[in-house]
Amino acid sequence: MKTFPFIYNQPKEFLKFLQPGDWADFLLGEINPRFSVTTVKAKVIAVREETADAKTLVLKPNWLWKGFVSGQHVPVTIEIAGRRVTRFYSLSSFPGEKYLSITVKRQAGGLVSNFINQNIKKGDLLELGEPSGEFVLPKVLPSKILFLAGGSGITPIHSILKQLQANQFKGKVTLLYFVRSYEDIILHSSLEEIVKATGFLEIRYIFSDVPREGFDSGFLTKEILQKYTDDIKSYSVYVCGPGPMQTKALSLLEGNEVKSELFLLPGQSQLKVKKTGTVDVFLSLSHKTIQVKGERSLLEELEDQGIYPPSGCRMGICHTCVCKKSAGSVTDLSKGEVSELGEENIQICISRAESNLELEL
Amino acid sequence: MRTISKKLNNEEIEAFGKEVDSLREEVMSKVGKEDADHIRFIYKAYRYTEVLGRGLIHFSFEPISFVAGTLLLATSKIINNMELGHNVLHGQYDWMNDPRFNSRTFEWDIVCDAHQWKFYHNYMHHTFTNVLNKDHDYGYNFTRLTEGQKWKPVHLTQPFTNLFLAMNFQWGIGAHGFRVEHLEIPKKQRNKRSLKDFKKVFFKKIELQVVKDYLLFPVLAGLNFPKIILGNMIANLIRNLWTYAVIFCGHFTENAESFTTDEIVGETKAQWYLRQLKGSSNLEGSKLFYTMTGHLSHQIEHHMFPGMPAIRYREVAPRLKEICEKYGQHYNTGSFLKQFASVWKRIIAYSFPDSIAGKLMGNRKVYLEPKGMISQPSFQISLPAKEKSVTLT
Ligand code: FES
Repeated sequence: MKTFPFIYNQPKEFLKFLQPGDWADFLLGEINPRFSVTTVKAKVIAVREETADAKTLVLKPNWLWKGFVSGQHVPVTIEIAGRRVTRFYSLSSFPGEKYLSITVKRQAGGLVSNFINQNIKKGDLLELGEPSGEFVLPKVLPSKILFLAGGSGITPIHSILKQLQANQFKGKVTLLYFVRSYEDIILHSSLEEIVKATGFLEIRYIFSDVPREGFDSGFLTKEILQKYTDDIKSYSVYVCGPGPMQTKALSLLEGNEVKSELFLLPGQSQLKVKKTGTVDVFLSLSHKTIQVKGERSLLEELEDQGIYPPSGCRMGICHTCVCKKSAGSVTDLSKGEVSELGEENIQICISRAESNLELEL
Repeated sequence: MRTISKKLNNEEIEAFGKEVDSLREEVMSKVGKEDADHIRFIYKAYRYTEVLGRGLIHFSFEPISFVAGTLLLATSKIINNMELGHNVLHGQYDWMNDPRFNSRTFEWDIVCDAHQWKFYHNYMHHTFTNVLNKDHDYGYNFTRLTEGQKWKPVHLTQPFTNLFLAMNFQWGIGAHGFRVEHLEIPKKQRNKRSLKDFKKVFFKKIELQVVKDYLLFPVLAGLNFPKIILGNMIANLIRNLWTYAVIFCGHFTENAESFTTDEIVGETKAQWYLRQLKGSSNLEGSKLFYTMTGHLSHQIEHHMFPGMPAIRYREVAPRLKEICEKYGQHYNTGSFLKQFASVWKRIIAYSFPDSIAGKLMGNRKVYLEPKGMISQPSFQISLPAKEKSVTLT
């Protein structure tokens, strides 16, 4: 096949060049915006107010949705002012329900969480990625489970509780839910319903900011743990909440089997460094040299300068932002390791510039 | 250098640059949903015209639907190359974070490979606009367009070679790409291998395009295949003629200036803006016309702000024009016919030696100091002595 060497050798690439997926998506999308052959698109079919600053979106995904396991999270992509942004949210529904739901609490300064709370309404469309996460129940259920939830960390736990309810769990479950005030309890009525409908669940709300009569107040301590558990060593523990709470829990529960899930806003997971001066980044495909401080991820620093490489999760999971580095070294923020100097593929959302760099961008 | 703009001193140039910069910032801060909606609309238009066009060509049994289909396919190719491809590949929509509109992932319906094009167009051409020997787009290597290029007898043929180029423009663009990339490697490192590697990229793209237009779709039509081949050929031809016309109007009208490498040594951003202005020319028309040119009708704005979503040039243009008037800078604009005629005047004039070319190009407009604007005592018109007649407009 001398005449068509490329097509002969790389027939797949030729097919890709014809963009069958884009074509199908376009035509299907014209029929119904939810239809697609490449992306899970979900329609918002209801928006429920949970608290003053948290909302639950009930979603109807298209046929590409393959299901999930209680406790998992999913990348959610929405469009804000013409720009697609992706964040991870735990699914608050459980797999047996007809529709999915995510519950989103406003974060101070959080672009997406605020946008969802303010602007998303019934009928809107968003994109979902593949669910993932190890914050799930084991195959063989333990007899005693302790859930420690902090703030919006209740969402995956809520999903697991619903799952346990559906499975008619026979053991004992204790949930300690640390939240700012009574009004801030997310998914309150649903949690109470589970308590009423089943016999296995005991919930303690503990308020950190606004005390309330008949309830404990404060943060996670040894005393509180002891107060609500008998023989802490016999529990399987699930922790989901803000960083300080997790650290505390892990130190108090040393020796226990603990599963934890920590949600960070993009950019938070990064080791903060103080650097002096800047480094040069040469972008070889666009023939630009720009200076970055090397304080935050390359992706963020490039975006600050008006350069927008493709990105997705912004936390090192999806590989959308992978790009070839031809020279220089970076720090991998997820591992805290400094890379080699030579050529390699890096994820720029979790790489910080260490020396002068050359990127294939 | 011969200029029809007012000579500015350094402070004036920097002040001019500042005003242009702040205009840019102001408009860029507004970029958002509107621009995203626009490019999605364009994408839709491109897809629909292609489906309808190819559909009509395939299922036409009489000439009218065949002609309509071919025109639609040509339109689709034009939209794909101009308003969609050209602008997306400039990174104008990278901020949307949509892979369909990202300059890293976009590939277009033309034999020119997008990566190669980004090198010689986005980088070489946009950085060294109209600088002889640096901007390889200047005359596409065989067209002499200024006294700065030495006349050779072969230039007598350039009206014909340009006609040929116009009809096969996509091939010219594609073949241009790998050669420029090769030429830009430092001389010592250049070798047959590197040229071969660049060529490979081009050949691959040719293969993909040719197989798609002249094999895959015809085969799908079975015995009707000659009709499909013909339709695709005509559509490609129309697209070629159109892009040639628009692109040549962008830099080669009679009053668009060229520069030498010495002139750009140590150039500041403001001076760069000025050079973009002097080296480019605009076309006037309707909104549909602007869209079909990919807003290269606003070549001046595009050259000053290549990363700005193109539809914004419409709002930038009048304001930029005002700034130019304030500083006495010629803002080269005119109707399509007028500008295209002036391109051909230049192509024909410079096909002859300078003595004749000078005469043919003689009537050049001259800068007139606007009333009530900054007046500067050292104001001068710089025209070569051999200029015979000077028309003041
Ligand atoms: S954006 Fe997902 S890995 Fe970088």
